[in-house]
Amino acid sequence: MLEFPYNTDCDLLGKFKIDTEYDIVTVRQVIRQYAKDMGMGIVDQTRITTAVSELFRNMYNYAGGGEVLIERGEVESHNALIVTCMDQGPGIENLELAMSDGFTSGQGMGYGLPGTKRLVDRFEIQSVLNEGTTVRIMKWK
Amino acid sequence: MSELLNVQNAKERIDRIEDILASVAAGDLDARIQSDIEDDFSGIEAAIDLLINDLTEELRQREKMQKDLENKLSKIQDQQKTILQQQEDLLELSSPVSKVWDNILILPVIGTLDSQRTQVMMENLLQKIVETGCTISILDITGVPTVDTQVANHLLKTVTAARLLGAECIISGISPAIAQTIVHLGIDLSVIRTKATLQDAMIFAMKQSKRADEMRTLSNIALTNENVD
Ligand SMILES: Nc1ncnc2c1ncn2[C@@H]1O[C@H](COP(=O)(O)OP(=O)(O)OP(=O)(O)O)[C@@H](O)[C@H]1O
Ligand SMILES: [Mg+2]
Repeated sequence: MLEFPYNTDCDLLGKFKIDTEYDIVTVRQVIRQYAKDMGMGIVDQTRITTAVSELFRNMYNYAGGGEVLIERGEVESHNALIVTCMDQGPGIENLELAMSDGFTSGQGMGYGLPGTKRLVDRFEIQSVLNEGTTVRIMKWK
Repeated sequence: MSELLNVQNAKERIDRIEDILASVAAGDLDARIQSDIEDDFSGIEAAIDLLINDLTEELRQREKMQKDLENKLSKIQDQQKTILQQQEDLLELSSPVSKVWDNILILPVIGTLDSQRTQVMMENLLQKIVETGCTISILDITGVPTVDTQVANHLLKTVTAARLLGAECIISGISPAIAQTIVHLGIDLSVIRTKATLQDAMIFAMKQSKRADEMRTLSNIALTNENVD
């Protein structure tokens, strides 16, 4: 399993599995609620919800599902909502390509990953071929 | 010291026992020995009858249990069918396409758009366009909380397909938050005609429809004039 270096104390808010399209919708709603509870406005709520929706769909479409970790913590003196998506799928061969606008290996639009990066305050991605992909995003309140 | 057994017609009675056991084995559970003779052999005959009774009872119970189970199974299967049917109905219901004006279709989309629902929605809309010959359709997404790349992709495909059938598709109800999010995602929806609210879309569609009517009338007049000449 891939790991990100952590230098923060975070509260674990929830841990979920994404196995079906239905999971995508329910976990997405959970995250919207957390964003709301933290006091984010409607625009930021919509951004983080859309961002995680992209990551969930990628896990569902390309890795047959995965796991989601939702945390809240102090990052660089920001009150942050942190979502980590982990899968054990095929991994991404060319990260630079995958992160570029309009690249899709399937029938998508190819804006999921680069778009997600633009929607959040912090975006980290790790991928190892035949091992899996982990994406961690953060949104400041 | 040996005692003599008191057994009458031993040969026939053993033959009868064999017959009865064969009948039972073949499934005739009513077969019994029921001998009238009272002697040293009667106990065995009675015991065999009792065993057949027990066996019959057990078999009956097992049959009953199996029937109960089968009934329950078919009930569950029926329920499952109902649930599936209801799910399908819900899908249909949640994408009701209606003709609101001479030439205008409205499809209000409510809730989340997974690929299955989007498929149904798109099929309904396209079918209705063909059925009614309407040339303007309004897809109102006020009730859609999240528009990600997949939903946007589906919307684009729906609009393109409608256009191929000769209908213009207007999308209304994109909230300011969703509009900003779409821009950040980087998706270009400029090929789609969008209106802020359903009302705006209706007004636009009616003007559009009226203009098309006028054009038609004009060309009719032109044709009539040609005929006169
Ligand atoms: N979790 C993952 N596992 C394996 N491959 C992935 C994963 N996420 C993304 N990819 C690869 O990266 C490519 C780009 O992903 P991105 O989300 O940007 O676009 P897309 O999913 O193809 O289309 P869109 O998200 O616009 O509908 C994908 O086509 C896929 O090949
Ligand atoms: Mg994607």
